[in-house]
Amino acid sequence: MLNKDAIQSIIFRALESINDERKLEDQILISAETSLFGADAVLDSLSLVSVIVDVESALSDASGREISLTDDRAMSQSVSPFSDVSTLTKYISLLIAESA
Amino acid sequence: MSSNILRGEFVNLRPLQVDDAEMTFYWRKDDRAKFLNQGAASIDQQSKWISARPESEHNFIIELKSGLSVGMLSLISIDHANRHGEPGRFLIGNEDAVKGLPVAVEALKLLYELAFDQLELVRVCGIVAANNDLMIKWQKYMGMKEEGRFRNHLNQNGTFHDAIFLGLLVEEYRRITLPRMNFLITAARTKS
Repeated sequence: MLNKDAIQSIIFRALESINDERKLEDQILISAETSLFGADAVLDSLSLVSVIVDVESALSDASGREISLTDDRAMSQSVSPFSDVSTLTKYISLLIAESA
Repeated sequence: MSSNILRGEFVNLRPLQVDDAEMTFYWRKDDRAKFLNQGAASIDQQSKWISARPESEHNFIIELKSGLSVGMLSLISIDHANRHGEPGRFLIGNEDAVKGLPVAVEALKLLYELAFDQLELVRVCGIVAANNDLMIKWQKYMGMKEEGRFRNHLNQNGTFHDAIFLGLLVEEYRRITLPRMNFLITAARTKS
């Protein structure tokens, strides 16, 4: 089963892919605290979609299961899974644990 | 141009005006506009181009609720007989102002509401440069299907690139696109 570090690495790779498209001065500083979407966040909606698509694809490859990050459950969380890297990591861990 | 202001939660779409010529001219000059067709060569040309937009086109400036202009978006090539149209001229000109906000997604949602709900189109379609990976990924996530490829269709600074032809049917919009758009808009609302 994917552990927290493996999940975080998948998210980091998706953010690195965004950086590949950006100029040096526009690079995202990638860490567990990187704010993703909402107030004071670093991604616009085009970049957020890219992260969602890349992370879902990598999770599917690694776990052999389809995992959706944008269903009704994600919308109902008290803290948005897309607040920052750590909240997204926790949310994905929860999804994987429940589907195991 | 025959458009009213389209109002959303985070952005409004207001009709493009001649007064927007200087701002949109500089947006079109920026590197981020490299995937669009070549724009006007001067502010005066841009003014004339805006003045010459036909009534059949819906050309918008994307504004934040504060009134700050951050981008542009259009619905063009509307065929009322066959009930299809083309979203295009999609450009975020002020990227710093849209971080963390669902600007692109809500702007497109407002445009699709115009296309599918008001104009009752059954299909929207258009091309994206094949090397515009981020936009292709975005449009496919938003429900667009790849319907073809035009070889060497676009000239980007002297180099020819393929274009991907994408299409979205009204039933796909309602089943796939709208829930995803609503999700992204909801995700931007701050929760404590």
